[in-house]
Amino acid sequence: MVSILLLVKIGWRNLWRNPRGTLLTALALGLGLTLLLISLGLLDGSHEQLVSNAVRFGTGHVVIQAQGYQDTGSLELLLPPEVVATTDEFMHSEAMKHVLRGMSPRLLASGLLNSAVNASGVSMMGVNPKEERAVSLIPQRIIEGSYLSDDQESGVVIGVELARKLAVKVGGKVVLMTQAVQSPATEPTDGDEGEMQSTLLRVSGIYRTGIEAIDAHVIQLPLAEAQGLLGVPNRVNQVAVLLEREVDSRMVARKLREQLNGIPVEVLTWREAMPTLAQSFVLDEAFNYVTNGVVLAMVGLGILNTILMRVLERRYEFGLCAALGLRPVQLAVMVIGESLALTAISLALGLVLGLGAQHYFATAGLDLRWFFKSSLPAGLVFDPIIYSRLSVARIASSVGIVFLTATVISFYPALKAARTELPGALQVF
Amino acid sequence: MTKWAVELKDVKKTYRTGSIEVPALRGITLQVTPGEFLAIAGPSGSGKTTLLNIIGGLDRADAGEVLVEGKNLQLLPTGELARLRLQRLGFVFQAYNLLPVLTALENAEFTLLLQGVPVKQRKERVQKLFTEIGLANLEHRRPGELSGGQQQRVAVARAMVTEPALILADEPTANLDSTTATALLEVMEQLNRAHKTTFVYSTHDPLVMERARRLIRMRDGQIASDVTHAGQTL
Repeated sequence: MVSILLLVKIGWRNLWRNPRGTLLTALALGLGLTLLLISLGLLDGSHEQLVSNAVRFGTGHVVIQAQGYQDTGSLELLLPPEVVATTDEFMHSEAMKHVLRGMSPRLLASGLLNSAVNASGVSMMGVNPKEERAVSLIPQRIIEGSYLSDDQESGVVIGVELARKLAVKVGGKVVLMTQAVQSPATEPTDGDEGEMQSTLLRVSGIYRTGIEAIDAHVIQLPLAEAQGLLGVPNRVNQVAVLLEREVDSRMVARKLREQLNGIPVEVLTWREAMPTLAQSFVLDEAFNYVTNGVVLAMVGLGILNTILMRVLERRYEFGLCAALGLRPVQLAVMVIGESLALTAISLALGLVLGLGAQHYFATAGLDLRWFFKSSLPAGLVFDPIIYSRLSVARIASSVGIVFLTATVISFYPALKAARTELPGALQVF
Repeated sequence: MTKWAVELKDVKKTYRTGSIEVPALRGITLQVTPGEFLAIAGPSGSGKTTLLNIIGGLDRADAGEVLVEGKNLQLLPTGELARLRLQRLGFVFQAYNLLPVLTALENAEFTLLLQGVPVKQRKERVQKLFTEIGLANLEHRRPGELSGGQQQRVAVARAMVTEPALILADEPTANLDSTTATALLEVMEQLNRAHKTTFVYSTHDPLVMERARRLIRMRDGQIASDVTHAGQTL
């Protein structure tokens, strides 16, 4: 034990024989960790933002739909009437209320929106304004007028692209035409099953999400108005559930499935409801692993180069130590100790720089607007400012991986030192 | 218990570089009594360093037997050889004897530390030796802050401090001026007399040869003469 401490002490002091060289090497290696932390922070942050946006513009973290809706997209597949009440009761129970952020029943359909000058196909969404506000981002993205009010019986909010196409402004009139639907389980109310229906709506507000597919096609109107238009009073075909934390999605979906057991519905997490997005994350992660692998390789080669050079420069000293009775394993420990000390300094530097950068990007964000000059691309599906998010587990795993890489790589120079041959290593001239 | 500190029987060593063979030792037979103060002299290439390396277990002979305190070094595995060097042998090289990152005190106690000697005992032994050989108050200096003679004395202290059976010194005065060389030799002699430690050192300095109580002259890998200070030829 004493001799190990001595060997580590020698290793540590050897590092400071050339302080500038050691600090430069440590800085270079530390920058590797810094890059790793920045890259992971921005990746996790962008994923978090993408998920947050996707679930709030889309289905929520968990969505309840009629059985088969995910595959067919058939708007005739309505949820059985008891689903909304059961879900509402369960999600507001003592066990779940801290998990829930909001839930919104929706009636979805397609239609044609006409103005005095133009017409456009739209995806209509009948919503309860109060509940939708807690779930969707659209109410927050109103740029003209106002979102639907809770007691509003009529009215519509439309995207900025659609407003431009239809040349309508807030307060303007539009006519929504759609085909009445009738699910097999629902009796027709006024005999207008499958017939074209239309209603006159006044534009309450115009929103902009930055996502063209939404801004040009999605409209929201009061749920009762939509139900009346489609001829399905008190029916919806989707309940979107927004949670406080994304990580609870699977758990909540599982519990909801248990609650709704026996009812022909499908309960999906956002990953299941939006598989393309989930897969793009997997691809993104894979690409990031490759990038991080390159960074780690650079860090590893830096350690290898530095320690190997130090070992080769000190061939005589290792020969001297061996002559005095140091065993090969002790020579190796000395080198590994030196390498670990260098790694520790590098990690400390890397952590200081990396966490500093992480703090900056977490608060100020990485503003990509300069990249897009003055205008954002029409198809932009993420916020142009990415905020870094780095969990303690991510930091710990990054530090651990760099430490492990450096340790494993130091075995080679350690082996070189252990193989110091006598008396050859003692030849000076 | 053997009566020899070192015993060599027809030891041969040849270095090979590609197809070229250079015989370094051509059948050396030699006995060294415990407590001897023995110098090995000879011109460059005569085999002095090779002989010391083989006695010290730093190199292996091609043929013959090398016995140190009765142990046949030819039969010892590498690990055992390292242990023998640590426990029973001391080394002083021509130069660069010390680890530059350790102080004089740490260098001197280096081998004691590896032996696991407790800290108090280590300090006492080193301090005593340092006082004995005139290194008191230099304990905390790094090698770069010591003169060549002081560095060699620290090396001698490191070799002595484990109380080895044998100290091997390869041209320990080669890089020193004559005054410093004489002073170092005096230190070695003093330790040899006081502690009865066997010293075997190589040199080609006539002044240093004169201080030896036994002088072996080598030429072309063979012992040319073996003379004791009293004038007896062995």
